[in-house]
Amino acid sequence: MKAKKLAALILSGFMAVSMMACGSSGDSSSADTTTDSADAPEAMKGSVEGELTVSIWDENQRPGLQEIIDEWSAESGVKATIQVVGWDDYWTLLEAGASGGELPDVFWMHSNQAQKYMENDMLMDLTDKIAASDKIDMGNYYEGIVDLYKSNDKQYAVPKDIDTIALWYNKTIFDEMGVAYPDDTWTWDDFADAAKKLTNDDHWGYAIAPSNNQDSFYNAVYSMGGEIISDDKKASGYDKPETQKAIQLFVDMVQDGSCPDLNTISESGADVLFESGKVAMVTQGSWMVAAFKDNEYTAANCDVAVLPKDAKTGKRVSIYNGLGWAASANTKNPDAAWSLIEWLGSKEMQEKQAELGVTMSAYEGCSDKWVNCTDKFDLNGHMQMLEADLVFRPYSKYTTVWEDMQTEKLKEAWTGEKDVKTVCQEICDSMNQTLSEE
Amino acid sequence: MGNKPKVTGRQRSEFIWGWLFILPTMIGLIVLNIIPIFQTIYQSFFKTGDFGKGNIFVGGANYAKVFADTEVWQALINTLKYAVVEVPLSIIISLVLAVFLNGKIKGKSTFRTIFFLPMVAAPAAIAMVWKWLYNSEFGLLNHILPGKTNWVSDPKIAIYSIAVIGIWSIIGYNMVLFLAGLQEVPKDYYEAAAIDGATGVQQFFSITIPLVSPTIFFVLVTRIIAAMQVFDVIYMVIDNNNPALNKTQSLVCLFYKYSFQQSNKGYGATVVVVLLVVIMFFTVLQMIGQKKWVHYN
Repeated sequence: MKAKKLAALILSGFMAVSMMACGSSGDSSSADTTTDSADAPEAMKGSVEGELTVSIWDENQRPGLQEIIDEWSAESGVKATIQVVGWDDYWTLLEAGASGGELPDVFWMHSNQAQKYMENDMLMDLTDKIAASDKIDMGNYYEGIVDLYKSNDKQYAVPKDIDTIALWYNKTIFDEMGVAYPDDTWTWDDFADAAKKLTNDDHWGYAIAPSNNQDSFYNAVYSMGGEIISDDKKASGYDKPETQKAIQLFVDMVQDGSCPDLNTISESGADVLFESGKVAMVTQGSWMVAAFKDNEYTAANCDVAVLPKDAKTGKRVSIYNGLGWAASANTKNPDAAWSLIEWLGSKEMQEKQAELGVTMSAYEGCSDKWVNCTDKFDLNGHMQMLEADLVFRPYSKYTTVWEDMQTEKLKEAWTGEKDVKTVCQEICDSMNQTLSEE
Repeated sequence: MGNKPKVTGRQRSEFIWGWLFILPTMIGLIVLNIIPIFQTIYQSFFKTGDFGKGNIFVGGANYAKVFADTEVWQALINTLKYAVVEVPLSIIISLVLAVFLNGKIKGKSTFRTIFFLPMVAAPAAIAMVWKWLYNSEFGLLNHILPGKTNWVSDPKIAIYSIAVIGIWSIIGYNMVLFLAGLQEVPKDYYEAAAIDGATGVQQFFSITIPLVSPTIFFVLVTRIIAAMQVFDVIYMVIDNNNPALNKTQSLVCLFYKYSFQQSNKGYGATVVVVLLVVIMFFTVLQMIGQKKWVHYN
């Protein structure tokens, strides 16, 4: 009987502790908000009323951005709090906020979702404000990012950053296998040959990240003269022989074993394999610099070079993407929100963003100092990709719908169940169907 | 029974107070469960617009699409496979454990706590740990066992690997319920049986199982309902480019994909309505079937 009581006590103790754990985490967050709102009246005494909430999804960028925003707060007297929510939850939260009319004041926009938010008037129309501003001129930013946040000739967000894709490589494995480091003379064929030479029982030559198309096969597709979606976003480019040739290149690598099979990649991920010295090369975006820099293994063994070019077209392509700073259409503080966006988009702050190592900046020519943000790698690999052919990441209104379908269907090509041509034709048909419904 | 009893003042006040006491639960149920059920059913007849605006009534078009969608059927099969493995195994294992832990074993309170521990951990954390245990490159399982098995990316076995996680996490909870059921079984039955020469195994099948059958029934019904709604483990463990995705994703995974990732809420709603019907079917079946094997008193 005693034992039973004891067991019950222990169990209920555990339950209570777990409940308290839940409770306390809930408490702390609510405590934060209460202190914030308690501070609000003080902030309202400033030139612009109220307080702004700023939502982003990348914790790595928070410290740098906070510094930039704090400077703005010091000048305007308006407090702004950055709220970081993980990528998946970010969009769930934003969608719920948009449906309920409770969006954050200032937040990041992304190519996957921008069109939907713009067309439904969820974002503040910045066109007139930009025209009246002496700090912001859309001509100064990379064109693809500006166009992305434009709908019906209205501008809904100010470009924040730009990313480039580059070839990350493991110097130790290259030395061990006696292969010369990649440089700007490499073509995709050199790349595939090197991958073969770099493969043995302990490691692979290259690992593709099939679910993240921007940093893998999209670059080769455009470099070889193919396309994913037509310029008018009405037709799929998967029926083009050049597109299929690029995908074939990677499928061949999986088949001959110089790239790990889909099972391995889906369980561990290309970046994880790279960080543990299992692969010699990966193609990754500049957003990975923060992670690679903090990882002891990659910091000691790895470096970065430009992507290969295509032998036939001679084109070196980086698929780029850029976030935008947008404001809620029904924010209580439209003036403060615009003032903050103007600040974040200004030349000085775009330079500062690069200097602090947050990201490269969307303002052309402001990214030079980003190269020095770490001494672990020679970031010129990423910087020089800015001079290559920049192609904006393919998107349409329902990007996620056809991207999911494409990831799903391409599996059959990676595993060799079906040949590339058949798979691409299937993707093409299904994608055209989706695009016709937009 | 015959005469209709007169309602006394006391009975009336008991009636009112009874309702008052369950009122908070009722309000919670209606606001959080029952109203959303009908809203979901309503929504399944629409092609939903962005941000809940501009919904277009499409009649049964979503249902027609669901029945023609092989992905949905495959997901239903996956869900059933998961339930068929998880529910019986978790019940058998936890019932046996409960019987042992109900007897005279040294340190049984420690064991009870250990078996209950998975219930205390967050499902997402459990899934992450198991994901790394199963990992074919760096995982502990492949480290110990010979050969290289793709536990969670081989389409043939992935769903069973997932079911193992489900079993592991639910055993403790089932066990506590069974322990409670076992307390109700009078000790003299076992003594009488022992005197008549029944072995432990015979006692288990002839006394324990019939007498805890109401508890088994309760666990069975609730577990099947929960197993049909499996989502978090699959979502956490199976990546988007996993070759086994098609053979592991459950109906709720599809619901999540359509409703929240592709924001096609109408179609997502249709998928869960199908799930609701399937669950109701199995539950009604069990309610009828219980007369055959469940012994109350």
